[in-house]
Amino acid sequence: MTVSWKAFKDRILTITLFLPALVLVGYFVYFSIGWNIVVSLSDWKGLVPSYRIVGFSQYLKLISDPVFLISLKNNLILMALFVPGSLALGLFLAILLDQKVRFEASFRAIYLLPFTLSFVITGYLWRWMYNPTIGVINTILDKTGLGFLKSGWITDPNIALYCVVLALIWQFAGYTMLIFLAGIRSIPESHIMAAQVDGASGFYLYRRIIIPQIKFSFFTAFVILMVFALKAFDFIYILTSGGPGYATEILPLTMYKESFAMTHFAYGSAIASLLFFLVMMIVVPYLLRTYWRQEK
Amino acid sequence: MTRPRVSRFFLYLILIFFVILFLLPLWSALVTALKTEQDLIYTTPIEPPKDPTLEPLKTTLSIMGRPLLNSLTFTLGATLLSCLFGSIAGYVLTKIRFPGSGIIFALIILGIFIPYQAVLVPLVLTMVRLGLYNTIWGLILTHTAYGIPICTLLFRSFYEDIPDSLVRAAQIDGAGTWTIYRRVILPLSWLPFAVAAVFQFTSIWNDLLIGLVLSRGIEAMPASVALANLKGGFVALWNLQMAGTLWYALPALIIYFVLGKYLIKGYMAGAIKG
Repeated sequence: MTVSWKAFKDRILTITLFLPALVLVGYFVYFSIGWNIVVSLSDWKGLVPSYRIVGFSQYLKLISDPVFLISLKNNLILMALFVPGSLALGLFLAILLDQKVRFEASFRAIYLLPFTLSFVITGYLWRWMYNPTIGVINTILDKTGLGFLKSGWITDPNIALYCVVLALIWQFAGYTMLIFLAGIRSIPESHIMAAQVDGASGFYLYRRIIIPQIKFSFFTAFVILMVFALKAFDFIYILTSGGPGYATEILPLTMYKESFAMTHFAYGSAIASLLFFLVMMIVVPYLLRTYWRQEK
Repeated sequence: MTRPRVSRFFLYLILIFFVILFLLPLWSALVTALKTEQDLIYTTPIEPPKDPTLEPLKTTLSIMGRPLLNSLTFTLGATLLSCLFGSIAGYVLTKIRFPGSGIIFALIILGIFIPYQAVLVPLVLTMVRLGLYNTIWGLILTHTAYGIPICTLLFRSFYEDIPDSLVRAAQIDGAGTWTIYRRVILPLSWLPFAVAAVFQFTSIWNDLLIGLVLSRGIEAMPASVALANLKGGFVALWNLQMAGTLWYALPALIIYFVLGKYLIKGYMAGAIKG
């Protein structure tokens, strides 16, 4: 009897200790997502909560809202340029560092540095870089005789979004480099040597032998960058706040402004739910694939 | 792979070009933060100041001092708690088999990828109702909750490598689940604790959005929010804006240069940021 009492007490203790994690994730993630969806189906506008369910009318409003359509378009452009850009530069840096470089660890640490910084910091740094009057880029162009390339950068609605993309690639390239470098290093030395004996070298070695073997690194980096591109808020909030006009407005910013600046809570929650479903469409197949791979 | 001299030269040239590109914004922030308003106009953004001054750093510290202290408090608190709960969850999910543990793990892991936007409105309502809106405790609770998924993943992947036989041997000796955690698992856990703690510290310290919606006054304002407010207060005073940026960057930079290898392990374990 004493043994089973002890086992029972042990089980209770274990459950009690595991419970905080379950309750916190259950409430703050899943219950809150459900709550948010309920808000998105209501007509809540203004500071006093309203849970009168009006169905999908908020979602229908999205289709005819020009600001929503612009920020959706910008979000898609951001994904289409930022994701391949970061993958390409990261792969390039990884291949450079794979050439038995001296001080490799130092180069790696410097390339990764921007990624470890808060988006509030990098946002400020790039506000200064792009500042049209006395900022870094225009001043350098002036001093090197390239003054004709000077531009308004993030203040020019035609190119502001591309400036945001470039700065984000600057911040993320070190991260993709890290993932690719780990992928390259995990290929057995014998595979590479066998290919070298067969005469493969340089560009060919990478294209035919190494890159095909780090497919999973690409997949991982791709998913992480796509998810980031969908929910990026902090960086653009600091750098442009969506401006000039709506030139760099993306969905997370629109959601924030609708909910917390204009108190259109139901409408903001509809955008948030849409974002949630878009992210899940990318993440769920990735997780299934990852665990299917592990099971094998 | 030995390469001809010339191509080695170009290799290093490209590598150094990228070093300059990656460090240029930080360098400019550093020199600009040390400039007087005159130097701001009469020197280029990449030149060191002619007449270095600590005034911008002093001014911004007087504004950001309290928010920096707030950030330090809730970041440390939430880092500790999320690591602790993540460690227990990782242990229970790897070493104790029970029906549904696979599903529970999958649901916790999915939490890593949740866009904060999808929980923002309920989060604010919850904190208001709990009386934790605009408090340090509110930020600790929130960052702990959203940190548990990634911590669980980090600890689980580490605990999977601890042989089950070790746990079974302790069970035969009559040790209970909790005793095994304390006596067997915890003493082996310093590495995942270091990885998870450095990772969590960095991501909580770096967050803006949560702080933006959960703080209102100076009592709980995180440094990220205080810095975000600087650009409105010091329009065109770039020396002050850059000085504020440096203050907020300092702890993260120290962590990166001292404990960077743990942070990298965290990134590699399928970590995500933003």
